[in-house]
Amino acid sequence: MTEGHQVALTVNGVPRAAHVPARRLLSDFLRHDLGLTGTHVGCEHGVCGACTVLVDGRPVRSCLLFAVSVDGASVTTVEGCCEPDGSLGPVQQAFWDCHGLQCGFCTPGFVTTITAYLEENPEPTEDEAREAIAGNLCRCTGYQNIVASVLRAADLRRGVGA
Amino acid sequence: MGEPVARREDPRLLSGQGRFLDDLGHGALAVAFVRSPHAHAKVVDIDVTGALDVDGLVAIYTYDDLAGPLAEPLPQLIPHPTLTHSRTPYALARDEVNHVGEAVVMVVAADRYLAEDACDRIRVDYDVLPPVVGIEAARAASRLVHDDVPGNIAATMVQENGDAAAAIGVAPHVLELDFAVERSASTPLEGRGVYARWDAADASLRVYSSTQASTSVRAALAAKLGLPPNRVEVVAPDVGGGFGVKIVHPWPEEVLVSWAAITLDREVKWVEDRREHFIASAHERGQAHRVRVGFDDDGRLHGLEVTFWHDNGAYTPYGIVVPIVTATQLLGPYKPGGYRVEFQSLYTNTVQVTPYRGAGRPQGCFVMERVMDAIAAELGLDRADVRERNFIRPDEMPYDHGLIFQDGRPLIYDSGDYPAGLQKLKKLVGWDEFESYRAQARAEGRRVGIGIACYVEGTGVGPYEGGWVKVETDGSVLVATGLTTQGQGHQTAFAQVAADILGVPLERVTVITGDTRRFGYAVGTFASRAMVMSGNAIAAAARTVREKALRIAGESLEADPRDLEIVGGVVQVRGVPTASIPLSTVAVLSNPLRYAFDAESARATQFAMPADPDKPPVADGDSPGLEATGFYSPPRATFANGMHAAVVETDPETAEIRILRYCVVHDCGTLVNPRIVEGQVHGGVAQGVGGALYERMAYDSDGQLLNASFMDFLMPYSTEVPTIETDHLETPSPLNPLGIKGAGEAGVIPGMAVLASAISDAEGFTVTRMPISPSELFHLRRSHEEGTSR
Amino acid sequence: MKVNGSAVLHAPRERVWAALQDPAVLVRTIPGCQQLEQVGPDSYRATVMAGVASIKGTYSGDVRLSDQAEPDSFMLHASGAGAPGTVSADVRVTLAGADDGTTRLDYDADAVVGGAIGGVGQRMLAGVAKKTAGEFFSAVDDVLTGRAELAPAVPAAVGPAGTPAAAPAVYTAPPRQRQAVPVGVVLAAVVVGALIALAGVVVGRLIAS
Repeated sequence: MTEGHQVALTVNGVPRAAHVPARRLLSDFLRHDLGLTGTHVGCEHGVCGACTVLVDGRPVRSCLLFAVSVDGASVTTVEGCCEPDGSLGPVQQAFWDCHGLQCGFCTPGFVTTITAYLEENPEPTEDEAREAIAGNLCRCTGYQNIVASVLRAADLRRGVGA
Repeated sequence: MGEPVARREDPRLLSGQGRFLDDLGHGALAVAFVRSPHAHAKVVDIDVTGALDVDGLVAIYTYDDLAGPLAEPLPQLIPHPTLTHSRTPYALARDEVNHVGEAVVMVVAADRYLAEDACDRIRVDYDVLPPVVGIEAARAASRLVHDDVPGNIAATMVQENGDAAAAIGVAPHVLELDFAVERSASTPLEGRGVYARWDAADASLRVYSSTQASTSVRAALAAKLGLPPNRVEVVAPDVGGGFGVKIVHPWPEEVLVSWAAITLDREVKWVEDRREHFIASAHERGQAHRVRVGFDDDGRLHGLEVTFWHDNGAYTPYGIVVPIVTATQLLGPYKPGGYRVEFQSLYTNTVQVTPYRGAGRPQGCFVMERVMDAIAAELGLDRADVRERNFIRPDEMPYDHGLIFQDGRPLIYDSGDYPAGLQKLKKLVGWDEFESYRAQARAEGRRVGIGIACYVEGTGVGPYEGGWVKVETDGSVLVATGLTTQGQGHQTAFAQVAADILGVPLERVTVITGDTRRFGYAVGTFASRAMVMSGNAIAAAARTVREKALRIAGESLEADPRDLEIVGGVVQVRGVPTASIPLSTVAVLSNPLRYAFDAESARATQFAMPADPDKPPVADGDSPGLEATGFYSPPRATFANGMHAAVVETDPETAEIRILRYCVVHDCGTLVNPRIVEGQVHGGVAQGVGGALYERMAYDSDGQLLNASFMDFLMPYSTEVPTIETDHLETPSPLNPLGIKGAGEAGVIPGMAVLASAISDAEGFTVTRMPISPSELFHLRRSHEEGTSR
Repeated sequence: MKVNGSAVLHAPRERVWAALQDPAVLVRTIPGCQQLEQVGPDSYRATVMAGVASIKGTYSGDVRLSDQAEPDSFMLHASGAGAPGTVSADVRVTLAGADDGTTRLDYDADAVVGGAIGGVGQRMLAGVAKKTAGEFFSAVDDVLTGRAELAPAVPAAVGPAGTPAAAPAVYTAPPRQRQAVPVGVVLAAVVVGALIALAGVVVGRLIAS
């Protein structure tokens, strides 16, 4: 374990660094080297989306990236989607209001995906909301309430119905 | 109770503070397995030399390292007299492997990357044997999976009521039909995982496992490891979905990881990857059916004979529960006349088959509902009418089918109003108006169809569950039950039950599930039983606590307990709110103290309270503290039911299938949290859609699972699941005080049936195999046009 | 646990014997061997150290001979104890000279491993033992074929009865680099490997006598 690379980046606004082997996945880096276990691994082949984090604001599958490849980047995980005082952010609050999660395992991937999506498209229609989350798998909810959560999150971001 | 309260567990889960298995055990050693790449082979030699150079390697185990109970096959969880040839795997393959994915070598290393490096370098020599794949090959039995299991038959079982053959013999109409369902699997987003900690000084073991049955895992581990049960604790942490696959226990990995932790005196953790989940956990659904049904001009059933073949994979650790459920629940809400069902449970060289949400019901429902449609088609009758005519009437409840259910108890439906449910469904989907919609669609060149499917679900099977409730001296309430949680919102729903009965604010109630340290007697979460069983047990415990609280409060307030009520955690005289005492104080008073530790507790000390010198501080038969344990053990299962309707559109050219509408009417008795119940239904419907249109395990003739990943095993995304419209009926169960029936599996049961019904309606020919893909539909069309298939 | 194997040493039996007789050779070629002491006829005590990074362990081993059928075969009984566990082994060793001037040595060990190291799994233990034995014979072979330089080792102590004239009874190895082998396993495996190597000493003596 002596060979490796120094990775330094910003995670949820905080400078973090660690020494990791070249083949360490970003998902494992976040979870085990940085102790941020909110990001979950559902398949390790980029299909389920549970591991989605934001790299420089864009959603990526952290199971398909090596930690060394995000050296110097700014990463946001589900933990970073909370408000600065630790309370729930609008997307998280929306999920709570709409019963958008059951087991909670896939949820972090949805939260980050939707956070990024609403930045680009702050007022989606229901069809657009459904499309926006069509790359994340959920086995528990049947997606009904997740679609509702997207729309509610959009409302909360605009200060409606808080 | 009854309120769609927001879930208490959500803020933690939403902010990334969940504690799933892999979030625990940060410093533990990691485990990986060398698994068989062959479906059927003798293990000839295992050469580990290549792995020895891997940095961070700690241990390598094979079957030869196991001794005593560890070296014996894993247990048969549910023995049954007809399961004459039960076979379960060894924790590590002994001489033979019987499916791709079977564990052969276990590697322990500093982390998973290194463990996998070591696994890659271990060479196993196999003598490859020809495998048995698929029901046909298993039946033909030209080759055997297990040398000592003739015909590949694990069990043959017959159940009957009345004389089906005779009835069919004289029935005005007879149909013979064949049906088939392909394999699918639970595939929760979180796979399995085990994390074991051994305390050598204390000789005690604590195991965290992503399981649905922590209490039973504890018992199994104690037996396998030769430990006294009271030195083993098992905790189910946050679990990322189960859907049945995590009810199986003990997994080889649960046994081996625990054993390695003891042997190495280190923390050891194993977390499976997705491929392992596909090839080493469990599948379900694969069955082939042959039906003979006799009926009259009105479509009423006179006799029903069902013969089916159940693919149970390489092993039968969960007995024959799944086919027993199929055999009994196939009847649905109908009176079959004479009924005879016979099944064979067959071995194949594929992953073992154990329950997946529905647990055999979806197959049974599919068969029965296709039969109903076939009868309607044969007679030119409305499909809903035919069903209605065969319904068991509300006034015929309780209805005894004369069969034995999966819990070993008589199959007796307790309550249900099927005609009322059907009315609601027809209204919701617009059943009577559909023909005009179809005509309109046809004019536009579109092909649409409507389907319907009904089911009955036996829930709340025993033997029991328990609940413990305690009011702490600060007024907070603790609730514990032994069964487990995988997203069903137990921390909220069970809290609602307790809060309701105790009269405390919901926020003051904390619920713990699945931890043998907190509640040691339990069965598990499966068969849609959690609310029925634990809900009622917690209610019983809460009632006992309430009674005691009112008695003690009554003594303190010098009031009759019957005049007291508890509002917002305060016991008060009804109508006189000033005569009150908080529950927290009652809790203090319930425990007579010698020593005070704070101002509040001083009230319970010997000089602070008046005492009757002739009565002991703790009365005979009473106990200190405001806590109680309750159990619920019903004489038999309670039967929920539901019916679904779907409108589909099939593309005339590409045969693509789109679900335009999906309607659900379901009845699970009293609803504790309507929102949680609805969420359960939604999730089940999505799995039903998956099972009807997308999900199948693609085994080739060599027993290789070709689609062991999410890339090729297709699960529905949000775009594949339609908007689900629901309506409820509540016919409470007379079997338990809360009137609850289960809801966990409701959504998935009729999925294949209703979509097959709708697609058949759209196409004009019947669909008899599920799942169905556009290309299969395309070919089915062709063969019907050419007249080459029935 | 069974461990067996063989090695070809590229020298005729006389030279093999001489090398195996020489404690200076042995203390350097037995993996991890720090000290070698004759404590009686056909009886030796070895001190071996092994470890990975900062985790090291020292243990002692005793060897004695029996069933000597010179010059073909003999039995060797070994036992060793250290912090991570204990090993005892019965090793059967056979020697055969070949026409091309090489010597073939076969060993067949039946070992019982106890304590914590016993927990790493039989195949891993056996694998490391064989590997270690292989390293030993390879190191001896390097000496025989001149590939390895050999400086005299330092006599550490006076022999029994304080007579410096006796053959050096205790030899200490200079510090050497230890190749990374899994923690804990090495300690047990090396005992077996070292004890097998010690058999070589005995072999040499047998052939010499």
